[in-house]
Amino acid sequence: MNRNALWIWLPLGLGVVVMLLAPLALVSRPYIMHIAIVAYFYAILASSWALLAGYGGQFSFGHMAFMAIGAYTTGLFAKFVRLTTVPTGVCPEITVGSYTLFLLNPVTAGEPTCLDIAKATMPAGTLIYRPPIYVGILLGVLLGGVFGFLIGVLVLRLRQAYLALFTIGFSEILRVALNAEIAITDGPNGLELPPLFPKGVTIFGMYFDATSKIPPYYVMLFLFLGSMVFMHWLASSRYGLFFRSIREDEEAAAALGVNIVRYKVLLFVITSMIAAAAGAVEAHYIGVITPNILLILQMSLVIAMAVIGGMESLVGAAIGAILIEFALEFLRQNITIGPWTIDMTDWRLVFFGLLLMLTLRFQNNGLIYPIIQRLTRAGVTEEIAARRRLVPETVQEGEG
Amino acid sequence: MYLWLALLWIIGWGVVGAVLIPRVYARRDLDVSQAALAGAMVGAASGPFGLALLAYFTPRLDWKWVVVPGAATVAIFLTAFAATYPNNLCVSNSAFVLTQVVNGLVVGIIYGLMALGLTLIFSILGIVSFAHGEFYMLGGMFVYYLTQEWFPGLHPLAAVVVSAVLTFVIGALFEVLFLRPMNTGQVERPGEYAILVTFGLSFFLQYTTLALVGANPKKVPRYFDYPRLAIPGEEGSLLKVTPGTVRLFEEIVIPSPRVTAAVIALILLGLLMWFLYRTWIGKALRAVSQDRQAAAVTGINPNVMNTLAFGLGGMLAGLSGASLVQVFSWVPWVGTQAAARSFVIIVLGGMGSLPGAFVGGLIVGVVEALGAGCVPDPHRAAAYIPAYGMLILVLVLLLKPTGLFGREL
Amino acid sequence: MIELEVRNVVKHFGGLQALKGVSFRINGPERIGLIGPNGAGKTTLTNIISGVIKPTSGTVYFNGERIDPLKPYEIARRGLGRTFQITRAFRRMTVMENMLVPALALHPTANRRALEKKATEILEFLTIDHLAREFARNLSGGQQKLLELGRLLMLDPKLIILDEPFAGVHPKLRQTIWDFIVHVNENLERAFIIISHDMDTIFTLSKRLLVLNYGELIADGDPEAVRKDPRVIEAYLGEEEEEVAA
Repeated sequence: MNRNALWIWLPLGLGVVVMLLAPLALVSRPYIMHIAIVAYFYAILASSWALLAGYGGQFSFGHMAFMAIGAYTTGLFAKFVRLTTVPTGVCPEITVGSYTLFLLNPVTAGEPTCLDIAKATMPAGTLIYRPPIYVGILLGVLLGGVFGFLIGVLVLRLRQAYLALFTIGFSEILRVALNAEIAITDGPNGLELPPLFPKGVTIFGMYFDATSKIPPYYVMLFLFLGSMVFMHWLASSRYGLFFRSIREDEEAAAALGVNIVRYKVLLFVITSMIAAAAGAVEAHYIGVITPNILLILQMSLVIAMAVIGGMESLVGAAIGAILIEFALEFLRQNITIGPWTIDMTDWRLVFFGLLLMLTLRFQNNGLIYPIIQRLTRAGVTEEIAARRRLVPETVQEGEG
Repeated sequence: MYLWLALLWIIGWGVVGAVLIPRVYARRDLDVSQAALAGAMVGAASGPFGLALLAYFTPRLDWKWVVVPGAATVAIFLTAFAATYPNNLCVSNSAFVLTQVVNGLVVGIIYGLMALGLTLIFSILGIVSFAHGEFYMLGGMFVYYLTQEWFPGLHPLAAVVVSAVLTFVIGALFEVLFLRPMNTGQVERPGEYAILVTFGLSFFLQYTTLALVGANPKKVPRYFDYPRLAIPGEEGSLLKVTPGTVRLFEEIVIPSPRVTAAVIALILLGLLMWFLYRTWIGKALRAVSQDRQAAAVTGINPNVMNTLAFGLGGMLAGLSGASLVQVFSWVPWVGTQAAARSFVIIVLGGMGSLPGAFVGGLIVGVVEALGAGCVPDPHRAAAYIPAYGMLILVLVLLLKPTGLFGREL
Repeated sequence: MIELEVRNVVKHFGGLQALKGVSFRINGPERIGLIGPNGAGKTTLTNIISGVIKPTSGTVYFNGERIDPLKPYEIARRGLGRTFQITRAFRRMTVMENMLVPALALHPTANRRALEKKATEILEFLTIDHLAREFARNLSGGQQKLLELGRLLMLDPKLIILDEPFAGVHPKLRQTIWDFIVHVNENLERAFIIISHDMDTIFTLSKRLLVLNYGELIADGDPEAVRKDPRVIEAYLGEEEEEVAA
């Protein structure tokens, strides 16, 4: 048992140390830092989807929708919500103490907002603030949870293909609405967001400006590690057992006292909040978010990462996502064989799709998870075989 | 303004009815299979008054309790719409409405054909193919390459036939390689596997096509230039045909490629019906869809039927693509929308129901056409087209998961 | 206290009357066999008692509390456990994890080590303790049945309903199951309702028999009396004739 634990925790610990120290080596290579940040983002999505589908058996195709809810909530918050010291009188607003919180009104480009109108009458020296970024992110996470709750309640009766179709429907409606409501969301052009640290940040006396990759790297990394620790704790607690029993057989789980409704909805709420958090942070990091992140192909990328990593394992799905994201980025270079040039931007996804199908067909548990399983379950078979030799006696006793 | 009030009324009381009525019926131990839907409809149409009466008398809910209040709800919506936008083309111009409806029906036939393939697969294999849109895309792509690149001058109809054969082969091959293991117990959890592996196929086919042909839209000229024709005469004609359009009663205009596509689709539907109901293989297929075990006992090989059904299903999608490639411009991801629409149609019609798929196709065609033509802000109208179907999908799954013609679950 | 009271339970499925007013009482740790020809309503009755389906009319009381409006998990937590006709182990979970699900559902904050110890004891009795870390899907069919029994005991049920516990089980394991039922019934004082088609087994194992036929309870008494009951003989002979005719 101890030996097994060592074989698991040693590489994992090493991996975490490498991830923590990587920026030291990569300061001059922002491109790789960027890939790493995006890889962590996908790792959060893939592992939370693995919790939802692999552990809970809820094959939702709406996971990216929750991600987008997080991203757009914080984006719209940053776009429309302002604080001021003097009430505007024309915008929708509430005054608390000496501050007034107000909403800008959506306008088409060129038209004045209510703030522009209000500025004419405001006394000189009036301060107008943007509320802090993290408030928007928290709101996004919260709203992700609210939608997760609603969807979780609505899909209680739906199974497998019906659930998949329902969540695709939800995701598509959201995508179309985000595309269509240009005045609010800026439609297909995408909603621009301020960076995570608009004024830069000072860590341990070192100043990083708003464009530096190092602060967002650590924000995403800590979000990733934090959600992994949380999900791992959840999966190995009784909740994990209940989620898996629901996946295996709802009716039997209910007959054994498991409150199916509660744990299913809880699972949707938790995974949605994690996806929303990842989306919110990623959106601020990238600086723009478009409805295209809701395309079904984006969702299938996340699913493929989880499946190839092993969707019954959170760590497997996360490692799968990180490896695939790096592989996809490094496979961008065109390959030239003699007179032919292969444009890898498209072909890498072809290989990837093929890998997904072959994994499903021949290596059901994914490619990473079996390795982890071999390490954690090393000795189980031998142990069973060793103890089985004792069994015939017991049976004979029973018969005698 | 009236419209928003009406919508608020419909949605608000609809939700109340959908939640409340099944509970009332369940408490009195009555049949609840229609209660959510009937409750939603009665609530939407008559608000608290109808709901109170329904909850008090709890009559037996048959289809009348859905259709009558459903029609009333639509009437309320339309009246409010007309009152809010008196100048909207859909309110002031009946010819425009008719044109939209007829165009919707014409396209709906082709949607129905594609959904028929999906529902056929579902009824035989018990799975939803998430790669259906890619077969649709391939059907069109094959026609483009056959007639425009590889064999210029090839008759389009010949290309349609070849493209049907190719999509059939791809579907059948995929079934043998990836879906057959589900029946032999080689796959741990077939339901989940089927969803994911067809999803993988969709991903694979779409990117393979993209890598091979690029992202530039492909266009195929219309298959037939119609002869100029006017019946009975140029003035006040009932039917007037030009190379590009067909005009009925002087007012209803349909682009001729759509008519061609619909005619092809109708012929194919006829052939499919003949195949399913008159040939031995077709009867065997239907037997398998009704009772797998019983069919196997009578000597039908279910594995062959699965392959056949998946190939046929893919082929029907391919054929819809092949008949529509002359109407729309074609890109590798053109199948995504079409697949989404097929999902809507089979859920609406009832999963596994052949007539359901056809009727569902017509309904979705008309709803999309009216939605596109009538929503006041033209930009939004176009942008929201894919959402109308999805809204239907979500509502049907919540209120009546068996759809219009579905077997009871 | 173990007290189950089924009062005049009626269940319609569409036009079909599956149960036509069934009433009986269980008092104390009894060992009851429930038999009847196919379609007699045995499974319907089980489903109603365990809350999977609601009766059309009639009530079910368990230890003085009305349980028929409750959800299945609520009934399970009140100490009424059941198995299903087909084996329904959680296949992609280990044997020990299977055992922990009901225990943790019942006592969410209990010490897991203590629960594992209790589970190991039960598994030892069932002769499958060496498989504790094995996935349930790798067990033989009979071993999965044993696991189901053990898992049910982790719910600490007062009344246990077993649907065909002996069907398709290897003779060796059959004895283990038999011993387990007797042990739990006599030493732990839990009541049993056992549904079986195997007449020899059920007449020997149970101390009281309930006989259902066409949704009616046609006999209720000790096995010897039931064996001689003319209505029971008629019900079973009738079935045999049908089988011959078919």
